[in-house]
Amino acid sequence: MFIERPDAAPNVAATPTPNPRTRWLRWALTALLALAALIAIFYDAFVNGDGLPYLYQRVQTFVTIFLGIFIEAAPFLLAGAIVSGLIAVFVDQSAIDRHLPKAALPGALIGGVMGVVFPVCECGVVPVVRRLYEKGLPLSIGIAFLLAAPVVNPVVILSTYSAFGWGPIFVGRIVFSFLIAVVVGLIFSRAKPEEVLLPSVCQAHQDACCHVHDHHHHAPAPLGRRFAQAFTLAGDDFLDMARYLIAGSMLAAAMQTLVPQSALLAVGQGPVISVVVMQALAFVLSVCSTVDAFLALAFAGAFTTGAVIAFLVFGPMVDIKSSLMFLGVFQRRAVGYLIVLPLVLSLLMGVWWNLNLGW
Amino acid sequence: MLQRPRFQMAAKALILLALALFLYTRLADGTLFFYINQRFMLYTVLAVVGLVVVAISYRAANNHPDDAHSHHAVTWGGLALVLLPVVLGVLVPPQPLGAAAIGNREIAVSSQPRNVLPAAVRAAAQKDATDRNLLDWLNAFSASSNAAQEFAGQPVDVIGFVYHDERLADDQVLISRFIVSCCVADANVVTMVVRWPDAATLENDAWVRVQGVLEPGAFNGAPLPVVAAQSITPVAMPEQPYLYP
Repeated sequence: MFIERPDAAPNVAATPTPNPRTRWLRWALTALLALAALIAIFYDAFVNGDGLPYLYQRVQTFVTIFLGIFIEAAPFLLAGAIVSGLIAVFVDQSAIDRHLPKAALPGALIGGVMGVVFPVCECGVVPVVRRLYEKGLPLSIGIAFLLAAPVVNPVVILSTYSAFGWGPIFVGRIVFSFLIAVVVGLIFSRAKPEEVLLPSVCQAHQDACCHVHDHHHHAPAPLGRRFAQAFTLAGDDFLDMARYLIAGSMLAAAMQTLVPQSALLAVGQGPVISVVVMQALAFVLSVCSTVDAFLALAFAGAFTTGAVIAFLVFGPMVDIKSSLMFLGVFQRRAVGYLIVLPLVLSLLMGVWWNLNLGW
Repeated sequence: MLQRPRFQMAAKALILLALALFLYTRLADGTLFFYINQRFMLYTVLAVVGLVVVAISYRAANNHPDDAHSHHAVTWGGLALVLLPVVLGVLVPPQPLGAAAIGNREIAVSSQPRNVLPAAVRAAAQKDATDRNLLDWLNAFSASSNAAQEFAGQPVDVIGFVYHDERLADDQVLISRFIVSCCVADANVVTMVVRWPDAATLENDAWVRVQGVLEPGAFNGAPLPVVAAQSITPVAMPEQPYLYP
C-alpha cells in the first residue's frame, strides 16, 4: 500500500522542503480553518448567547477542559519518557536483535502482548515506541505494541472488568484490540521504515538494525552519570512529545466546547450509525484508556453493544491527542494510515457484532 | 543564541521547572480538583517530583556536554507551545465547570435509561435518604422502573449549583453537579428538578443547599421525581466541586 505511490518514494528521507505552491495551499487551509473557528465562536457568542460575558465563560470552559486533559496526561507522558530514557541508556541494541522475532506474524503477535510487560496508556506508549524504533525494533512489532498496549495491559483490563464485569464487552474489547493491532502491524510490515518513520527516528533505526555504527557508545560510564543521562534524554523526550500533547488537548477541548454532545448522540441508533457515532465520540473526547470504561458505562444503555465495543477499542488506539502525538514518530502519511486502518477495522468489527451477535 | 548547547539545556530545565511549579501551585491551593478526579492526585504529585528530578539532571549533564547530544533541539515556537498550559493557567483564573458547560453535555436526569455499577446502586440504596448526594439519588432512581411514584415523600438534602433550563416551568430550576471519572474532559452532569416559588431569583452557577421532599413530576415529557423545596440556602462552593463515580 505504501509502494503504490512512486512519486513519494525518492526523497522521503530528506527534510521536508515544500515548494511555494504547497506552502501557499497549507497557509490558505490553516487560515480558512482559523476563520471557520472564529466564525463558529462569534456566531455562538453573539447569536446564540448574550455577547461578551458568555464568550468569556466559554473561554473559561475551554481552558478548564484543556488543562484537565493536560494535567491528567502529563504524569503518564513523563513516565513513558523516563522509561524511554532508561531504555536508551541501559538496553543493549543487540538484545532487541537477539530476542525479538524478525518475521512479520510472530513479531506482530509479540507486539500485541508487550503491553502486559509495559503497562502504559496511550500517552506513555508513544515515547517508548519511538525509543524502541531508534534501537532497531522491527516496524510491525512497534505498530502492534503502539495500538494494543493502551488496552492489553493489566491496569486497563482491571478497570474494564470493574466497569462491565465478565461478559461480551469485557472479552470483546480485549480480543478485538489485540486482533486489530496485530492486523495493522502486519499491514505495516510490508512498508519500508524510511516511508513510515520520521527521518531523525529512521536514521537511528537504520544505524541500529544494520550495525553501521553504535550511536550510543556504551563505554562503562559510572552508574550515576548513566542515570543522569537517561533522565536528560527523558526530559528531551517529554518536551518534544508535550508539544503534540498540548496541541492535541487544545483541539480536543475546542471541539468539546463548540460541538454539543447531544448533536453527536442525536444522529442515530442504527447498527451502523451508532458505531460511527461512538467512534466519533471516542475521537473527540480523548479520554485516557485507563478510565474510558467507566465513561462507556454511561452510554451502554443507550447504544448498541457493537458501538460500545467500538468506542472501547478505537478510542485507546486513536484520538485527537494521540494522533497528534504520532506526528512526533511517524511521517504524515503513515499517521493517516494509523488513523484510518483502526477506524475502518473497528467499524467493521462493531457492525459485524451488531448484525451477528444481536444488538 | 538558542542554538548554543548550554542555553538549550538551561531553557529545557527552566521549562520543566515551570511546569512542575505550575502543577505544585494547583496542588497546594486545592484547585487541582477543578481539573481531575481526586484519585489521580498521587500521579500529579509524582509528576511534580519527576519533573524536578529530570530538570536537575540537565544540571548534571551540563558538566558532560557530550552526553546530551540530542537530535530534539527546542525552537522558540516549541518553547512557547510547551509553556502554554502555564500561561493560560495564570491568565485565566481557575474555575470549575459550571452552567456554561452544561449546554454542551448530556443532562442525566432520572428519566433517562442509565447503566450504572450495581455496587453504586446498592451503596446508594443503603444510605439514609438525607445522606444521599445528587449522584446517589440518580443511581437509586435508575434501579426503579417507576421512580416518580416509588420515591415520593422521601426527604432530600443535597448541594449543587443552579442551572435554568428553558424546558422548565417558571417555578422550577435544575440543581446539578458534574461527575468526573478521570478529568473534566469526561464530565457528565447529574441533576434534579427542584420546584421553588422564587426559582427565578436564583442565579446560574450559584451553589445552594436544597432541602425538601420528593413528589411525582416530569421533565421533558418523561415522569420523574421532582424535589418540592422547603428551603434553599446559599452555600460556599464545596472543596471538591465534582462528584466521583
